[in-house]
Amino acid sequence: MDELRLKESFTRVAAYGDEVALFFYSHLFLSHPELRGMFPVSMTDQRDRLLKALGQIVADVSNHEALLPYLGGLGRDHRKFGTLAEHYPAVGASLLATLAHFNGMAWTEDLARDWTEAYTVIAQVMTEAAADDETRNPPWWGATVAGHERRTMDISVLKVTPDAPLSYVPGQSVAVESEARPRLWRFYSMANAPRHDGTIDFHVRAIDGGSVSAALARSVTIGSRLRLGPPVGTLRLNMASRRNVVLAAGSTGLAPLKAMIEQAADLAEPPGIHLVFGARTIEGLYDLADLEKMAAQWPWLTVTPAVSAEPEYRGETGTVADVITRRVPLADQDMYVCGSPAMVTATVKRLQSLGMPQDHIHVEDFGWSAS
Amino acid sequence: MTRLSSEPLTPDLVRSAAFPSARLGRRGLDETEVRAFCGWVSDGLARLLNDNIMLQEEVVRLRGRVLDRNAKPGTRPEDSHVQAVYVLSKAQQTADRCVADAQEYSREMALDARMRHDEILREAKVRASVILEEAHASATQAASVARDTGKSLTAAERQDLQAEIAYLRTFSDVCRTHLRAYMESLTQSIEQWERAEHASASAARVSVLHSSQEVLSHPLRD
Repeated sequence: MDELRLKESFTRVAAYGDEVALFFYSHLFLSHPELRGMFPVSMTDQRDRLLKALGQIVADVSNHEALLPYLGGLGRDHRKFGTLAEHYPAVGASLLATLAHFNGMAWTEDLARDWTEAYTVIAQVMTEAAADDETRNPPWWGATVAGHERRTMDISVLKVTPDAPLSYVPGQSVAVESEARPRLWRFYSMANAPRHDGTIDFHVRAIDGGSVSAALARSVTIGSRLRLGPPVGTLRLNMASRRNVVLAAGSTGLAPLKAMIEQAADLAEPPGIHLVFGARTIEGLYDLADLEKMAAQWPWLTVTPAVSAEPEYRGETGTVADVITRRVPLADQDMYVCGSPAMVTATVKRLQSLGMPQDHIHVEDFGWSAS
Repeated sequence: MTRLSSEPLTPDLVRSAAFPSARLGRRGLDETEVRAFCGWVSDGLARLLNDNIMLQEEVVRLRGRVLDRNAKPGTRPEDSHVQAVYVLSKAQQTADRCVADAQEYSREMALDARMRHDEILREAKVRASVILEEAHASATQAASVARDTGKSLTAAERQDLQAEIAYLRTFSDVCRTHLRAYMESLTQSIEQWERAEHASASAARVSVLHSSQEVLSHPLRD
């Protein structure tokens, strides 16, 4: 396989952008109409993801150390979409047809051989990773909504019961699909440490114009069925560190951090934890009652609510970064930040400017789904 | 700042857009101006997207012609397959735009509902504090009258004052009940709106299917 030739041919094709993915999926659905049902009605995001994944694979084609884990993850991740080993040849054929079409006159038998070889390896790594995962985990976890509390106009707290035990580490997230919006998956963090009854809490904020988040926050009721993907994410409480902990939560970014507090409560010697929970309005402090109960019960936990858009608020006003700067001593602390991308960026920037070492700052913005 | 919809949309104009501050008593930028500007940007974008679709068709046509010129005489079966792929692609793009439009509409509605919600809450808070202040003032006045008269109140005066206190209490309860009912009806209308949105969402799903079929017979409806 000539890797340079392969990369060059992909660069030629990638110049056509969205059109490439559009052609690929149309070709795939014309050749295998039964696959259309595995995808959402709108394919805009899907095409974007395909191009990004292909770009990533081609960029790393010579770097096997990076490529193999990426492909393995992709293979495992596709199980929740219902992808089976027999789907891979169909995808390969449409991929080759797409590459041939956009390479035009530059498409040669050598190139066709290169790509066939490359795709065979890709498909093999992905199917093997999926098959390996199959011995341990279901492709997805069916779950029933057992509780749905609407806390504000936009924010609801869901309690769900998975059909089979779902083990995870506090701080992790799962992709969630609702039967109200089939084939659309969005990531949400578990908001509790694993419980004996296996139930899981999710904090959902309806994004304006968001399809999945709005359905989960408003339309879903007790008894509704959801599907959950496998737990992902690397945010977790560093147990080896002897440092105290500061948690910075922006709105529903609270979820994974709350799970970590519950996890700390089970330790023989919990670290001192200071949670700063920020929202725009007082109403937006949707989980404060519960947090204050926790703080009253556990002397090692301090909770400071912060409100940024209501100057008349009697507690701390300003952004989470402002309140941390003002109220929390940062020397020798571990910092965990979760919230909207803007909140995470602003908070991390502030912490860096206050001299906090990079390896003490842990970040997650998975908990914030874009729609 | 308001612009004609025919004025060409340029990245520089968007980047340098300036909005006057809102009139007194409201925070932020002038909402009407911002909305008008967004409308203008949206019109410009729609035009660009249409142009883009037409250009894409042109590209397909020209590419087809090049292929024809290079092809050996006789039609090739894969050509018709490529045509089918393009027809399906166009149907998909129409569906994508329908979904994007619906999402944009729902985003605007939600934004609007939130702004109204915030405004009603703000008004209610102001009204509640005015009522409280009035009640406080009349209580202080009643107390000072009682103090100034210097002597103990007659039975009749005491009765009057008690009646007034009872009245104020009832008044404050009524206000609170009204406010609560107001908030509840607000929540209810939000929920009704959501149900309606739901119903129309399933209707929209059907119409998306229709429009992707329609596109086969009317390739350019924009």
